[in-house]
Amino acid sequence: MKLAAIQPRTTTRHDVVASLRQLGLDPLTSIVASASRLYRMPQEDLDQLKTALIADSFRHHYEKNAFYRRACIEKNVHPDQITQLADLTRIPLVPIAKFKSASSHELLSKPLSAIEHEMRSTGTSGVPSISRRCSDTVDAAVIAAYAMFREFLGISKGAGLYVCPSTEEIPEMGMIKALNMLSGLLDTHRYMVKQERFDPAQALAQLHAWENQFTRYIIGPPFLIYRLLAFIKQSGQRIKLDRGSKVITLGGWKRFSGQKISRDEFDLMCGDYLGVETGAVRDIYALVESNVMAIEDQHRVKHVSPYVHFTVRDTNDLSREVPAGTPGVLGILDPLSLATPGMILTEDIVTLLPGASPSGRSGQRMEYIARAPSAREFGCCAVNLERKMDEQPAGAVCPVAN
Amino acid sequence: MFNEIIVRHFSNPEFAAELDDATASIELGNPVCGDRISVQLKITHGHVQKARYQAWGCATSLAAGNAFCAHIDDQPLAAAIATSGAAIDSMLGELEPSQHHCLEMLEALFAELHKRAQ
Repeated sequence: MKLAAIQPRTTTRHDVVASLRQLGLDPLTSIVASASRLYRMPQEDLDQLKTALIADSFRHHYEKNAFYRRACIEKNVHPDQITQLADLTRIPLVPIAKFKSASSHELLSKPLSAIEHEMRSTGTSGVPSISRRCSDTVDAAVIAAYAMFREFLGISKGAGLYVCPSTEEIPEMGMIKALNMLSGLLDTHRYMVKQERFDPAQALAQLHAWENQFTRYIIGPPFLIYRLLAFIKQSGQRIKLDRGSKVITLGGWKRFSGQKISRDEFDLMCGDYLGVETGAVRDIYALVESNVMAIEDQHRVKHVSPYVHFTVRDTNDLSREVPAGTPGVLGILDPLSLATPGMILTEDIVTLLPGASPSGRSGQRMEYIARAPSAREFGCCAVNLERKMDEQPAGAVCPVAN
Repeated sequence: MFNEIIVRHFSNPEFAAELDDATASIELGNPVCGDRISVQLKITHGHVQKARYQAWGCATSLAAGNAFCAHIDDQPLAAAIATSGAAIDSMLGELEPSQHHCLEMLEALFAELHKRAQ
């Protein structure tokens, strides 16, 4: 079903940001709360609004962050030069490795005393990537996350089977933190991984216990949900979830062994062994260093947060942007990041999907392809978690390891 | 989230560096969160000539590295290892529960220094 478009208005998007400020409102929190409306704006209007937010953020970091300002001066880029969408490619990007370096304090555009929250993702290298957020960023990011969850998942009740550790066990892990936020929209939930141990039989029993009481959702990294699916397959205990049930995944499709879980096979198994409808599997792309989320719609298309801009760069010349449909290294321009520059060069290879969205939404749509060959991390925290779980004594591990 | 002591050590990491002429080193890590501190020492004739560190992880762990080195740098080794538990507990100021693992790392640094001295 196509979404109804919002008619363009005459006020420029730059005016909108200034107008909100004059009203005493915070432009960021006001705009991110309207994710649904943003996706229904004409593309040109959305691009202008996004550019205004990013230009504002760029000016903030240029003025407040000496390390980042030096990088901008070296590249001869000044905030006054960023006025249109095409100018965004000029904004210098911070390599994501900086977030795990011993000099990560240089990333701060606000004093440490303004930092409310530190989040980490410890990938396969074992070195944590630390992302620091001030209160203003936390305000905007929380609202943004819930607005995106509502837009794409439509959850306001039900039961969540979390096939992952809880935030109590791993409070700083970004992936778990983001997934845990979803529980605020549910009536009940249960975490099924405790001290790196997962018993799929218990998970299945919990799903049965909720039958005819709650719409059931399964949430977690693909490799763990895959273990549950494999257990159901081998034990012959198929289950039929509910009409609105969804399987929500985050954390990537690569295992620490290097094996990639086939998305198509995963979706088929969800249909066969969980009885969910086509389009009920929703994968999310996110990273701890940014506030962006790209959440899948029912067509398996990932939609980038509408106020964040993805720029895909030529792997051989990172200063050059490649067109939609061409794989390249992902650069993110995230205006929500105020404590540290939200202008990041990731180690992910992605492609932006060309053409119109089947769902009718404006904005960018992406497809994740792989880690860059030069990436220092083989995998994110989910891969690390899987490795630790497989190191557990044999008797304590899920009997279906693959 | 961060008290003045942590802000001071994090924002002015005076002792963050590598030592070319280190005579001893201490490596510590927290396997749960991934925080890691690497300390290099130049100790001659029972005196800590230089103490330098590198740290990867949360701001409090980085501050712990600097606080440790600031306390023992250019000090007699005997005095450094004689640092009381109470003094160690106060070196990072009042902490939030989520930061207490860094105090444990600081205590472990002193414990390792004690072993090196024996």
